Amino acid sequence: MSTDGHNPPVLEISELTAVHGHGKHARPVLSPTSFTVMAGESVAVVGRSGAGKSTLADIALGLRNPAGGHVLVAGKDWCLPTRRPPHGLRHLVQGVPQDPAAAFVPRWTLRRSIGQAVHRLTGDHEVERRIRRAAELARLDHALLDRRPGEVSGGQAQRAALARALAVDPVLLVADEPTSALDAGTAAAVSGSLLSLVQETGIALLLVTHDPALAARCSRTITLTAPAAA
Amino acid sequence: MLRSSGLGLASRVLSGFLLLFVAGALPWLSQRDPAASVLRARYAELEPTPEALASIRAQLGLDGGPFATSLRWWAGVLRGDLGRSWVSGGEIGPGVWAALGVSVTLTLFAVVVAVAVTAALVAPAARRVLRGVPQRGSGPAGVALTALPEFLLASTLLVVVAVQLRWLPPYGWTGLHTAILPALALGIPAGGLLGRLVADAVAGVSDERWVEVWRLAGASRTTLLAGVLRRAGAAVVDQLGLVFIGLLGGAVAVEQVFAIPGLGRYLLGAANAQDLPALQAGVLLMAAAAVLLGMLAGLARRALLGGPLAPGTLPGPPEPRGDDRAARWTAGLALAGLTLLLAAGLPRNPYAIAHPRLAPPGAELPFGADATGRDLLARVAHGTLGTLLPSLGIVLLAILTALILAVLGEVSRGPAEIANATPPILAGVIIAALLGPSVGGAALAVLWVTWPPLTAHATALLDEARAMPHIRWLPLAGVPPWEVWLRHVLPATVPPLLRHGMLRLPGVALALAALGFLGLGAQPPLPEWGLLLSEGIDYVERAPWTTLAPAAALVLTSVLAVALAGLRQAARDRQAARRGTGRKTALAVQRDGAGGALW
Repeated sequence: MSTDGHNPPVLEISELTAVHGHGKHARPVLSPTSFTVMAGESVAVVGRSGAGKSTLADIALGLRNPAGGHVLVAGKDWCLPTRRPPHGLRHLVQGVPQDPAAAFVPRWTLRRSIGQAVHRLTGDHEVERRIRRAAELARLDHALLDRRPGEVSGGQAQRAALARALAVDPVLLVADEPTSALDAGTAAAVSGSLLSLVQETGIALLLVTHDPALAARCSRTITLTAPAAA
Repeated sequence: MLRSSGLGLASRVLSGFLLLFVAGALPWLSQRDPAASVLRARYAELEPTPEALASIRAQLGLDGGPFATSLRWWAGVLRGDLGRSWVSGGEIGPGVWAALGVSVTLTLFAVVVAVAVTAALVAPAARRVLRGVPQRGSGPAGVALTALPEFLLASTLLVVVAVQLRWLPPYGWTGLHTAILPALALGIPAGGLLGRLVADAVAGVSDERWVEVWRLAGASRTTLLAGVLRRAGAAVVDQLGLVFIGLLGGAVAVEQVFAIPGLGRYLLGAANAQDLPALQAGVLLMAAAAVLLGMLAGLARRALLGGPLAPGTLPGPPEPRGDDRAARWTAGLALAGLTLLLAAGLPRNPYAIAHPRLAPPGAELPFGADATGRDLLARVAHGTLGTLLPSLGIVLLAILTALILAVLGEVSRGPAEIANATPPILAGVIIAALLGPSVGGAALAVLWVTWPPLTAHATALLDEARAMPHIRWLPLAGVPPWEVWLRHVLPATVPPLLRHGMLRLPGVALALAALGFLGLGAQPPLPEWGLLLSEGIDYVERAPWTTLAPAAALVLTSVLAVALAGLRQAARDRQAARRGTGRKTALAVQRDGAGGALW
């Protein structure tokens, strides 16, 4: 993929809403939202706490279902209020979590966790080759792949999470506050890698952040407002 | 379990109706054909021809299936007619009301004892509050008082006070002097439990800020004490139900030991004779008493707290703080004692009648011989297996049930509340009446009261596991939901649940032994602790060792149960403390140490 200005839409969201809880206790957590992310674009999602930023990221990742609206990924139906994303499309959207530990099973080596994702999502037999390439893209030292998530530093774990996401060739990367658990220097390095990755590979990036400086470095910013209490 | 939803309410309502239906249909549900057993009991000379059986079935009101039976019985109850006994054919009403009267009288005496014990346990804690000296909890006295289950305490009192010292009559219900021992046997454990709860609550309350504020403001000692007790009462009132349930269950055992014609003994007799209408009437009255006590507790709660509160308005009941090391040592010593017993007795033969009857302990027979000349050491050791192996099975089954029900969630709400309110002995009585007394029936009864706490724990563990970030993110790696369950959620849930279950093992063994003691569990000649104890009690005057040997094993188990309960509490405290500091902070700290340098 290249960044020549005529890119296909990767993520199309229209009138998306979400609620928390069931029945009488349900309350809206995302007011109707519509936007489109093109390939090679980096879009920052900002807004106050409670505006639904993380909810939006979870829906885009397919970790929770919306209450209404439509989500298309690469032109295909992604998830509905009653249906999770189809397995065949899972590899298209990957994410970098706020807490890098979330991306890995604690008792497995990083290589095993990444390998599991590759094997499950792509059916590719050249797992090792993909892991190597992803580690290079994420600038992760190969030697660290045989450690467990608790045995690497926070910055290294975040790079490993990035490598895990890249190993399955996604078209969209969702990062929910990927640097909030890191110290300032590490955070700058991680967010730098994320943005340069978008430039190099043409992957689209949806970046949830509190940091105005980081948002300014993205190609576009979307501001969410908290839904009115029902 | 905190989520209240329509499903939970539906489950409760449905379980309530099911309970009423089952209570009414008990005679129909009985495993053996009731018509045949009635025919045998009443008309021994009649042949069990189909015509004779059908006529008796119609006479008993069993024609028309379970619903008709249940409806007919409830209609009778509403008219004040409790039916006719299958055994004697007489009206049930007068007998069961008289039994209830005896039981209520006994319970009142027991409550007097319990209140005295509670006051004695709470007094030191209250004195310390007045002096402003912080206190750690109820201490060993409360533990010692609750260590003996009622059936064991009753047997001990009978042996020591009535038989050895001859101060009081051992049996009967003929006057005030016959009520003293049963009231003590029933009241001391209940008072010990209540006293421990209140003393721990008082100790916890004295740490609360307002106590210091009141003291600085110059509140009088009486005002301060009244305030502290009121606050402690509010923290304890929800657990009063536990004490009442203990009293109800204990009453059956105590009435049996002292041959008191109360409701408990009535129930036991009905179960042994499989006289289901009598059993129904007894269970109905006991359930009504339980509901009444529950309402009284509700009123007390309302008086103390001023009506229902929004969740979270009251700080939780203070956590009792036990001494971890003492509990560890006690548990270790009790376990070593039991192991020694097993090692010494297992190679011996528990069934061979090879010794003189009631031979006293000696070099060859360390524990003596029983009434048929069998080796008591062998019987007690094999009884350890006969008691602990079924208990292990019960615990494992309870864990399995807990996991399944925790997955089902709110659906199990209603059955859990009913099971929580059932004393194991009552469940044992009903099951024995339906299936006949057996180890399996007793195990079923104990299982029925074991699964609710494990289910609550399993629910919490599952919620916690599902909320773990890495488990939440597994779908992103293409892991299907069933595999998330099998390979990630369950492995995080089962080990703590197994530990919890093993800590409950001695308590389960005691409940099983209690049922065996009452004749509702294992049947002779099986060696089982409760059964051994009840066999020995008949010869207690001539050969006290026949009761001492099984009682010693039971006391060891009981001590083990109390010590392990202390450990369980300590483990929970540690867990809560760990959760309080938060996973995130710990991670951030770890990262601050390593992150910057290596990046």
